[in-house]
Amino acid sequence: MRIAVLLSAGRHRVSAHPAPVPVELQAIRLAAELGGEAFGLHAGPAIGPLHDTLGHGLPRLTHLRLAENDDPAPSLADALREGAFDLVLAGRSGQGGEDAGLLPYALARTLGLPIVADAVALAEGPQPGTLRVEQALPRGARRRLVIRLPALVTVHPAAPAPLPFAFAAARRGDVETRPGIAAACAPSEMEERPYRPRPKLIAKAAGGASAAERLKAATESASGGGKLLVEPTPDNAARAILAHLREIGVLA
Amino acid sequence: MTNAAPGLSLVILALALMAAAMMVRRARLWRIGRPASVDWLAGLMALPKRYLVDVHHVVGRDPYAARMHALAAGGLLGGSVLALLALVPPLGGLRLVWAIVALAFAVAFIGGTMVGRRRLPVRPARLSGGRFQRLPFLLAAYSGGALLVALDATLGGILGPLAWAGLALAAAGGLGLVLQIDRGPMRHAFAGAAHLVAHPRPSRFEGQRATALLPLDLDSPRLGVATPADFAFNRLIGFDACIQCGRCEVACPAFAAGQPLNPKRLIQDLAASLQPGATNAAYAGSPYPHAREVAGVGGPERPIVGAGAMIHPDTLWSCTTCRACVEECPMMIEHVDAIVELRRFQTLELGATPPKAAAPLVEMRYADEPGGRPLKARTDFAAGLTLPLISATGKAEVLLWLGEGAYELRYGRTLRALVTLLQKAGVDFAVLGEEERDCGDLARRLGDEATFQRLTRENVATLARYAFGRILTADPHALHVLRNEYRPFGGDYEVVHHTAFLDELVAAGRLPVATLRDVSATYHDPCYLGRYNGETDAPRRLLDRLGLQRLEMERSGKRSMCCGGGGGAPVSDIEGDHRIPDLRMNQAAATGAAIVAVACPQCSAMLEGVTGERPAVHDIAELVLMAVETAASRQAEAVA
Ligand code: SF4
Ligand code: SF4
Repeated sequence: MRIAVLLSAGRHRVSAHPAPVPVELQAIRLAAELGGEAFGLHAGPAIGPLHDTLGHGLPRLTHLRLAENDDPAPSLADALREGAFDLVLAGRSGQGGEDAGLLPYALARTLGLPIVADAVALAEGPQPGTLRVEQALPRGARRRLVIRLPALVTVHPAAPAPLPFAFAAARRGDVETRPGIAAACAPSEMEERPYRPRPKLIAKAAGGASAAERLKAATESASGGGKLLVEPTPDNAARAILAHLREIGVLA
Repeated sequence: MTNAAPGLSLVILALALMAAAMMVRRARLWRIGRPASVDWLAGLMALPKRYLVDVHHVVGRDPYAARMHALAAGGLLGGSVLALLALVPPLGGLRLVWAIVALAFAVAFIGGTMVGRRRLPVRPARLSGGRFQRLPFLLAAYSGGALLVALDATLGGILGPLAWAGLALAAAGGLGLVLQIDRGPMRHAFAGAAHLVAHPRPSRFEGQRATALLPLDLDSPRLGVATPADFAFNRLIGFDACIQCGRCEVACPAFAAGQPLNPKRLIQDLAASLQPGATNAAYAGSPYPHAREVAGVGGPERPIVGAGAMIHPDTLWSCTTCRACVEECPMMIEHVDAIVELRRFQTLELGATPPKAAAPLVEMRYADEPGGRPLKARTDFAAGLTLPLISATGKAEVLLWLGEGAYELRYGRTLRALVTLLQKAGVDFAVLGEEERDCGDLARRLGDEATFQRLTRENVATLARYAFGRILTADPHALHVLRNEYRPFGGDYEVVHHTAFLDELVAAGRLPVATLRDVSATYHDPCYLGRYNGETDAPRRLLDRLGLQRLEMERSGKRSMCCGGGGGAPVSDIEGDHRIPDLRMNQAAATGAAIVAVACPQCSAMLEGVTGERPAVHDIAELVLMAVETAASRQAEAVA
């Protein structure tokens, strides 16, 4: 099986030093443990610390060189098409901006591949050419799917931890650099701001409730809570959202 | 005179030739090792001193064993050499010569009996059985038989057939001993001598601690040690020198805690794997506690570590690098070097670090700090105190290295005490603040030499930008690497531990202390301060200046027991029957002291983690601050 792992130029969550993205290292592990030939793929101006991915179980890496601010999607799509991969793995989202968040969907659409999000485990499927995917759902639930390859699968942070780093393996690993396809990014209207962690919403427990009830209320809200609407009409959905916002005091 | 005496000389000559052949055969195996630069001449010249002074300093800690060894080895060698000399015509005819030979073998016989008395009827657990258990009989046979022959020659042949029986006995015993040369207990004699000559750390014999790990060339084709052939040849000699005395086993904290590590067995497994087609079957000492299943096979080019080889990886990762084994080893074997070289291969080549140890290594790679915490949060412990940054002035008399402990709430209290004391004493000091990266100790002990060297280079570059007299630190691990392990990377600093520094300040009268009467304390020596750096006096002197009642634990000073916090053992977290800090705390409690005085963030964290009724844990800095504050309040009372 030929597996491509998409790699993005991440940064360490605290130090902001350039670093591989943890969930992509987890994707490498899933690829390594599935067996087959794994290839790393990065489109961007420099390879930087992505070289280290070669020490986490990835034997080879292709770097598609792009100018700063070029859109990586066309280069990746081209390389994926050309490489005839059975499976493409990506992180569910990187840590900065849009890297690997929207991109897998854009690539799946361009390549006409099915996409399955949030894998935590992969195994060969019952028939040749199929893959068994264990998918992480909210609140620790898991769903097992069997998909037909080729497909694109994104990996969830609840997947097994990355393989430990092996310096000598990184030294031995193979990097191929070739020019990518220059493509300007679509202009974005988005405003960029530094990330600021926000306090969690804590559901209100009735005044004078016991400690146990307050604890229950607090933990319930932390684990999601709320109301599940199945295929609501846009009208009903909007009403439900407004009601919720009023309830927690965001809207007057 | 009967003809038995020349017969004895001839038998000994034959045995000596056989012994030489066996030694050569074994020594040829050492050549599979990598080359190492050895000053043979200096080593040979120094051999008598290394043996008589350094080895006996260690052997003498067990006076019975020291006497036993002196009698058995001295008598055996002396008697055999003299009996060989008797082959020279005029000497062989002299009764006096045979009287001396008889005396020497009598001495050897007493030594052999002592060997037996130590092992019989019940063999202590630390001693090996198997071939080793046969040793007293062989010694007795050889020396007893030779004694009879020599006596007979001295007395003019009056023993008759008894002398011939003695000769037969001596020949049988001697043959048994010689056959033990390549694998049994007698190997230690010649391998031990060769090890003393070609020792990989010769400065150990020149009064230096010589405990720094040696840098690994990161460009070499294979990083660390995978097979016996990857060890330098003089390391292989060291493994062969082991006499299986089990002193290291008794000292090892991981062994005591029931983790799968026994340094004696480890050295034996390494020695066994030299041989083509090696197995570990001949070993007859204590096993690794809860030994993990391994195939137990090896060879010069076969892997050493792994379930299909000699040593299970859990054995490697149980080690706290405390060096207690090295300190106790009469054969001067360097267990920790071997363990770290094996770890280097596991980490750097295979990426086979224990799962929980992988995370701190990754954080060190990308955040310069094993916890992945912001470097500027390192000074958060000092909220409310003024902590001068060296970047503000570019210089300070004393650079305070905070270390990893600064992030811990508990150790933060210690550092606050230290900073307060420095301010009270008017010391010109400063910290690096967010420019301080991790010193790399943890990475290095876990075998990640690449990360260690990167952090080292960056720290050395940072330190080069500032002018300071000394580096002060409360962390013995940082002290050790900054003082001893940065030198090959261009970092040459005078580094002082806070206990020594506070001792200076109190002695100079810069910190007036009151006596803390009615307080009893026992001092727990940090391995990296005591054993690694030989600093055991200053902390005790300082405690004495505080006037508290100081009690010593059963194991203290350079022979102290580890708290379990070193060498990455807490992150590797290999399961055992007990926790090492619990064992150590029991020893502290046994002194009856109310306080365990510590001087290291690791010790502090490990010992504070002990639950139940136990002495309180205080860093020495906290005790000094207590004494300084008591002095101040007593003075205020006196004024009022
Ligand atoms: S260094 Fe300490 S823990 Fe490691 S083998 Fe030696 S005594 Fe045991
Ligand atoms: S390694 Fe040293 S201390 Fe341990 S058994 Fe061998 S000789 Fe004795």
